[in-house]
Amino acid sequence: MNENAVQWRLTLAGVGLGLAMAGLCARLFVLHLGAPELWGGNGSNFAEEQPAVRGRIFDRNGQRNAMALDVAVKDVCADPFVVTSDDRASCLVSRLAPLLEMTEDAVAQRIFSRPGSRFAYVSRRVPEPVADRIAAESLPGVFFRDTILRRYPQGSSMGHVIGFVNYEGVGSAGVEQRMERFLRGAPGYLESSLNAKRQELVGRRAQHIPAVAGADVHLTLDQNIQHRIERILEDTVLRHRATAGLALVQRVRTGEILAMASWPFFDPNVFVESTPEQRRNRAIAFNYEPGSTFKPMVVAAALNEGLVTPETLIDCENGVWHYLNRPLRDVRPNGMLSVTEVVAKSSNIGTAKIGLRLGDRALYRYLRAFGFGERSGIDLPGEERGILHPVERWSRLDASRISIGQAVSVTPLQLLNAVCAIANDGILMRPHVVREIRGADGATLFEARPEALGQPIRAETARTIAHMMRLAVEEGGTGHRARLDDYETAGKTGTAQKVVDGVYSGTDYVASFVGFLPVENPEIGILVVVDEPRAEGYYGGLVAAPAFRAMAKETALYLDVLPTRYRLAQRP
Amino acid sequence: MSRGWAQLKPLLKMNWALLAATVALTVAGVLFVYSACYVSESEPVRRLYVQQMYWALAGLAASFALALFDYRRWIRHTPWFYGLSLFLLVFVLVFGIEIYGARRWLRLFGAMGIQPSEFAKLALVGVLAFVLGRPGEDATGWKAVVATFSLAAAPVALVFLQPDLGTAIVFFAIAGAMLFAAGVRWRIAGALLAVGLLLAGFALGAMAFPERLGPLRAPAEQTLRVVGVRDYHRERLAGFFNADKDPLGSGWNKIQSRIAIGSGGVRGKGYLKGTQNMLGYLPRTVAPTDFIFSVIAEEIGFVGAVAVLFLFATVIVSGMRAALATEDKQGQLLCAGLIAMLFGHVAVNVAMTVGLIPITGLPLPFLSYGGSFMIATLSAVGIIQSVHVRARREAGFTVD
Repeated sequence: MNENAVQWRLTLAGVGLGLAMAGLCARLFVLHLGAPELWGGNGSNFAEEQPAVRGRIFDRNGQRNAMALDVAVKDVCADPFVVTSDDRASCLVSRLAPLLEMTEDAVAQRIFSRPGSRFAYVSRRVPEPVADRIAAESLPGVFFRDTILRRYPQGSSMGHVIGFVNYEGVGSAGVEQRMERFLRGAPGYLESSLNAKRQELVGRRAQHIPAVAGADVHLTLDQNIQHRIERILEDTVLRHRATAGLALVQRVRTGEILAMASWPFFDPNVFVESTPEQRRNRAIAFNYEPGSTFKPMVVAAALNEGLVTPETLIDCENGVWHYLNRPLRDVRPNGMLSVTEVVAKSSNIGTAKIGLRLGDRALYRYLRAFGFGERSGIDLPGEERGILHPVERWSRLDASRISIGQAVSVTPLQLLNAVCAIANDGILMRPHVVREIRGADGATLFEARPEALGQPIRAETARTIAHMMRLAVEEGGTGHRARLDDYETAGKTGTAQKVVDGVYSGTDYVASFVGFLPVENPEIGILVVVDEPRAEGYYGGLVAAPAFRAMAKETALYLDVLPTRYRLAQRP
Repeated sequence: MSRGWAQLKPLLKMNWALLAATVALTVAGVLFVYSACYVSESEPVRRLYVQQMYWALAGLAASFALALFDYRRWIRHTPWFYGLSLFLLVFVLVFGIEIYGARRWLRLFGAMGIQPSEFAKLALVGVLAFVLGRPGEDATGWKAVVATFSLAAAPVALVFLQPDLGTAIVFFAIAGAMLFAAGVRWRIAGALLAVGLLLAGFALGAMAFPERLGPLRAPAEQTLRVVGVRDYHRERLAGFFNADKDPLGSGWNKIQSRIAIGSGGVRGKGYLKGTQNMLGYLPRTVAPTDFIFSVIAEEIGFVGAVAVLFLFATVIVSGMRAALATEDKQGQLLCAGLIAMLFGHVAVNVAMTVGLIPITGLPLPFLSYGGSFMIATLSAVGIIQSVHVRARREAGFTVD
């Protein structure tokens, strides 16, 4: 082989090696300078929004009684692609199902309903111990996502007031909805890197704005009172086979709601399983004709105007009075009654005559002043306003009917608040359920102060009508079953026929009782409403008054209200 | 001038560009082994660069010694060296330490492990140069082909048994390149190339799609097992063709290496700042060895990666210049074989790193961590220098 041949071969080889080198350089060029898609992007960087812990809701006892709080839970997810490519798929389903307390069919459907997908929820919001047990099985294609579950430790108790948070984490009823902007906090933001084990590298954080936890809401409601009220209400509703019922306890001097119960109860932990009817907070979203419980406000207006005095005699027509050719009846016939007796015996004819003495305009003005026909402005969503037609649209008959609580609708809250105004020397307070809002850092963001909405009647008038309402609870009054041994109590029964298909029903009633105690220095006002009692009577005095009595006793004892006779004994 | 200094005189005739490129690559190797390991939790791993430094110094010493020493005085002894390397390859199969399921290492002097297969490459180059380059030897016909492949077959068979498929392929590359350089006829060269490609194609096909073989499947599987194909080879092959199917398993290294290179950009993320490496995306076990080029490409970017390839090109071109400069056929063949060996490693390793070929465990000369390989490759450079300084066309030099 000659010299040239060697050179020729080496040159050829050199060209080959040069081409190979050039090829490698070209590949490097593409990877280094190409778009990130060509090399797969930088998988180690990530940016995410970090959820804020939602504020808690406490009753008025503060930290001891959490009504709503966030609990860390896990969503159990699966990668259907991995699960199906693994020959242990059926075995996986049969191992998951008992742990999740689901049927195998349900598990299989969750995982395999969308073939080709890389993600499926097997079960959402699984408690951590269960998730840990599943993780210990190390099933292929099954993984977890941290998430947060809103828990209501007291279950259905106070459920209507607390409300609930929907699956997107937004408050959708009750205090959860109204105080959303305080409770939700501010989500954080994190831009950082992961190492190969998918752990975040704290030292390489590009940006981190920590989430701000939501503020805690403290309610005026007291879980201990609420619990007793709910038990008594439920007993009453079940004994009388009623369709619904509600009870309200309000602090007279401040307007604070101490208890707000609505039956059927509602458990926010399982809000999806409830009907809208169950979710309805009847204390604020139930328009009903108040019946006789409405009378004290009418009589108070006439007294305040000086049109009658407690001693003014009213002819009660022996039980039937034809006004504008329409008969108006009393339950028991009466002859001449003083105004005090009209209230105590709950005479429809007597009250109608007092209402007529006031005249349409004055009556309307007073009822509006007592807060009827408009929302009280309580800090809860979904409040109704009742139905009090403008005076211009009243018929000539209306004043006589409205005076006895017909042809007018109120909400339970409106009625109790008006009665509490009588108890509170004529001053109408704004009812409220939120006492205080405290930020996660302890700062007070909001503090409720008693707020007077107006003074429909003078203090003396209020004391006069309170005295009349006290007699209604005495022996001989319609509400004598509400009488307490240790406390002078004022109250008024109500038995309203419901309007069914445009006429007053002979079978459907709303039985109610409203009152306050102690009379000489009122502290608490209570309203009990029982809708459509079907058994063991339907009169307010029979159905609602005993419930009022039990609630009043429990509440007064719990709040350590000084019993009346000791108070009298203290007088010099 | 004393006699001692006169002994060193040949060094002045060295190819300085080759020396500079070699030293630069070796220093870069130490630096990037440090970069690949300094975040490791394990103290011995963090200190690998110190080891690498010792190997590099030993390798450079060997390189200078070989450059100084006339290759023509030892080339006739290469059959002995070849025999010794075969003995060590047998020895390692019996007494070697098993790492990752392969017996490649011999433990000598306590902690030091040596890999006889690296020295077997040099031995094969030496013995082939001696045999094919003998004066009057006709290296153009079938006789040379048979002789060459017989000599190559022994170490290949022993390496297969370790098993180490990548190294076995390098032996064939060396044998082929040296036959070509020895002047084997074009027809024979073409036939060998065709047979080689056919066999490789068949082997890859049988590995990747065994179900397509039908009745041939059983004997094919048998054959593949005999020649050293293991399951992980198949996985790597599958990972190469469809890395996204198993991105966390067999596709991981390929994907992460590609991300490392791509995220390096033009100038890189900076020395010691490669996140793919530091955060463990490039597995710590391969970052300082087979995937050192990913670390380099990520940290000093396109510019650095191309500079490294340029240094390798310098080494290759220097080898070719030495081959062209010498009239001695054995010298030419030595250079051709050593170039084939060095270039084979560079091309396969870089192509694997950038995702052009399936992952094969071949290290990158001068840069990858590894003692035997470092000494073997630097020795190869020393032999090339030895040929270079004794080339005819270097004026004013007389053979001693």
